[in-house]
Amino acid sequence: MGQEQPNTDVIQGTLDMLILKALSLEPMHGFGIARRMEQTSRGVFKVNPGSLLTAFQRLERGGLIDAEWRQSDKGRRAKYYTLTRAGRRQLDVETADWTRRVSAVARLLKAEG
Amino acid sequence: MLTNRSRADREIDEEVSHYVEEATDAHIAQGLTPDEARRRARREIGSTTTVREQVRDHGWESLVGTLLSDARFAGRMLRKSPVFTMVVVFVISLGSGAVTTIFSGMNAVLLRPLPGVVGEERLVSLRPGRTDGTTAEQGSYNDYAYLRDHANTLDAVAAWGRVSLAIATGDQGTAVYANMVSGNYFDVLGVRPALGRFFAPDEDRTPGAHPVIVVSYGFWKSRLGGETSAVGRTVAVNGLPFTVIGVAPEPFQGIYTGIRAEAWVPLMMQPQLRPRSNLTGASWLWMFGHLRDDSSLDVARQELSALAVARARDAGEAMTPGSAPAVQVAGLTGLPNGEGRGLMRFMSLLLGAASLLLLIAGVNVAAMLSARYAARSREMAVRTALGAGRARLVRQLLTEILALFLLGAVGGFVIAQLATAGLERLPLPATVPVTLELSPDLRVLAFAIGVSLLTGLIFGLTPALQASARDMTSRLRDDSPGSGLRRTLTSRVLIVSQLALSLVLLVAAGLFLRALNQGQRIDPGFERAGVMTASFEPESWGYDRAKARTFYRTLRERVQTLPGTVAVSYAGRLPLMMGSSVDGIKMNDGTDVEVHTAVVDADYFPVLRLPLMQGRAFRTTDREDAERVAIVNETLARKLSPDGNAIGRTFRFRDARTTIVGIARDAKYATLDETTPPFVYLPIAQQWQPNQVLLVRTAGDPEQFTSLIQQAVLSIDPWLPGPRMSTLERATGIVLLPQHTAAIVTGALGGFGLLLAAVGLYGIMAFSVSRRTREIGIRMALGARRSTVLTMMIREGLRLAAVGTIVGLVLASAATRLISGWLFDISPLDGRAFIGMSAVLIVVSLVATYLPARRAAASDPLKALRAE
Repeated sequence: MGQEQPNTDVIQGTLDMLILKALSLEPMHGFGIARRMEQTSRGVFKVNPGSLLTAFQRLERGGLIDAEWRQSDKGRRAKYYTLTRAGRRQLDVETADWTRRVSAVARLLKAEG
Repeated sequence: MLTNRSRADREIDEEVSHYVEEATDAHIAQGLTPDEARRRARREIGSTTTVREQVRDHGWESLVGTLLSDARFAGRMLRKSPVFTMVVVFVISLGSGAVTTIFSGMNAVLLRPLPGVVGEERLVSLRPGRTDGTTAEQGSYNDYAYLRDHANTLDAVAAWGRVSLAIATGDQGTAVYANMVSGNYFDVLGVRPALGRFFAPDEDRTPGAHPVIVVSYGFWKSRLGGETSAVGRTVAVNGLPFTVIGVAPEPFQGIYTGIRAEAWVPLMMQPQLRPRSNLTGASWLWMFGHLRDDSSLDVARQELSALAVARARDAGEAMTPGSAPAVQVAGLTGLPNGEGRGLMRFMSLLLGAASLLLLIAGVNVAAMLSARYAARSREMAVRTALGAGRARLVRQLLTEILALFLLGAVGGFVIAQLATAGLERLPLPATVPVTLELSPDLRVLAFAIGVSLLTGLIFGLTPALQASARDMTSRLRDDSPGSGLRRTLTSRVLIVSQLALSLVLLVAAGLFLRALNQGQRIDPGFERAGVMTASFEPESWGYDRAKARTFYRTLRERVQTLPGTVAVSYAGRLPLMMGSSVDGIKMNDGTDVEVHTAVVDADYFPVLRLPLMQGRAFRTTDREDAERVAIVNETLARKLSPDGNAIGRTFRFRDARTTIVGIARDAKYATLDETTPPFVYLPIAQQWQPNQVLLVRTAGDPEQFTSLIQQAVLSIDPWLPGPRMSTLERATGIVLLPQHTAAIVTGALGGFGLLLAAVGLYGIMAFSVSRRTREIGIRMALGARRSTVLTMMIREGLRLAAVGTIVGLVLASAATRLISGWLFDISPLDGRAFIGMSAVLIVVSLVATYLPARRAAASDPLKALRAE
């Protein structure tokens, strides 16, 4: 077997948080979110549309994002998502939580012997 | 939901195709050709269908997931407070159990399809009547034959009648209740034999030619050993040899609900088995038929009534348009005597009463839930703050509530099982073998669950909505007086309504008790206590007239020598059995008078202690060949000779000139609330009938005569089956059965309702005490005496009880109108019942109030002041 392709899947459990983050800057449609994530992560993470749409449904059901059909700047009809106030609060909570855990993991990995 | 689904699908498709468009654009921007770009985009994204399914599955999963998590959460909450859960489930079980039990009874008697019968929807009962509204329940053989031969709207017409048979297998004879049926009886009902066969067409053509018999499953198992060799066996039926040709399937019991038929014989055997009902004129058959597929009830009714009119015209009968013959066609039920309607009304009333208890229980549970959720208000507020969403919270709470009500339905079902088992064992004062299976079946279970869930939805919605209200700030803080007040008002309203509803039930029970009391005290004109009765049917033993006469004479001689016998007599039937024989006499001036009749012997009047006002009783000289005589009651005597000298007057009865030899005092003949009809007593010797009832007045307890009479019968002929025996008191108790049942049922319901209301009142009073602890402490510190505090609290409770009583009385006075038909002479607004039950309510409320009030008055003021 040759050299394995690097794993571009989003870290499990973080997709929702990353979507919320993407939307925290401005409302976007699905493809826009995917591209933003891909670009900002410099290609490390690539999202597949199935998981994306599923996550949208989950977040919408939980009241963390709102959805609205609008004309995109290209003139096409697209579903735009906006962050709600609850979603913004949730993003803050999860970001704080994530940061805490990541630093803990980093400390554990750095620890000698 | 389906349109929603397809709309959601379309949206997903649209979103995916937009995604593809954008991805294609991106690839084009990177330098690919449009086709290449599109192909690559498609490949990266995958097929639209797959994406759609992925999203949709996730949606489904999350829905089921939320439901399951709601259910699990509900389970956890209920388990965390087991006492609360048990109390709530118990209260719901009471209400649900009451309703389920009554419904189970209704189901058994009125709603259940006839067991073993197939295709009941197209089966109809046929009752001959007249256009003026009178209907006979039964017809004659001629009626049946005419309909059978001429009806077009019916595929088939069948008939059946009751007959008592004595079936001897081997050396043992049993008296069974059997049906005499037309040959197509089983075919029309769609019943298939469990063993052997049913009647063939030619077995119902010639009178007396085919002595064949079909037996019931139960009879086959118990008397014929349950062996296949039973088919083809010969048994003695009323002394004649019959061949068993088949066994009916286990569930089939004939088509008279509650009276199980054990055997069926062809109508054509009637001359041998029931000689007095001649095969042509007497109306002793119930008829039913199978509607043709393209016909309906109305069409059939028109056709059959037209046939009846044509037939009457051919027979030369004169008729008026208002009183022409007609045929009533209705769906076939298990109650051929049209008792269905009255019974349905009675049971619906009981069901209504039971629903009141369910209402009380629901209100009680709503109050408990409200209080409970108020205690959990902090938890609710936190959850709402964390974004649970009000709808989600309400859904979770409702799941909890519905789970409670579901458990309550199960509990109620168990109660219903026990209650119906107990009711089945009640001894019915009937002289016919009634067998009712009241126990609940699947339909009843579905009903119980449905009603319970509906009640849960109605009574649970308010507490759930209240608990999840957005008003968070006041909930996170402790009970501020503002919100508390509104909550208290709600609970007060709930308590008052419970008290009021309980009072309605109690008043109904009180009225029924008064009616029962009055009914028992209504003087029937004779003495019911101290008489033993036994019924005989010598025709069914194969006795002819002479043999029956000898039997009766010998039996009288033997019984008269028994120690404790005061007097012995015979009669055609017992009094006060809710039935009467109606006939007509012709007065000397030609007018016809409708009379009720009874056939009795000389000692009837002394046995019953029914006094004769004038003249004499029947004597042995009033024989068959002597002048026809009769004894009339005072009402008829007044009618026949207003001047008061009825003795010696004559009238024509059944074409014979009859002389009045005695006048009996007016009495009750069929029911306790009838208007006294003109009544004629005729001597048995002159109006012979084979079936007679022996009446024995005993010196001591008549029950002890049971075995003595039995022995006397067997000493005359050891082959005879034991007669049906009962004391006169018990047998005539049937007249008061509705009042008895209703009193017990409403009494129980009212009692439970009051208990629930009292517990609720106790709760609310205890809560009020705890809220006013500080106030009480201040008062007592300022010098108020304990008794003042006590009075203060009791006054609060009494106020609730008073309001509840007033509302209850108002509701009751409107509601009791519905039961006035069963109350004899008692007014539905009877003062004693109303006042008595109100007193009960107030006393119970006083107790429920006193207990927490006493605790308040006994509290230490210092501690009360310090309490938070």
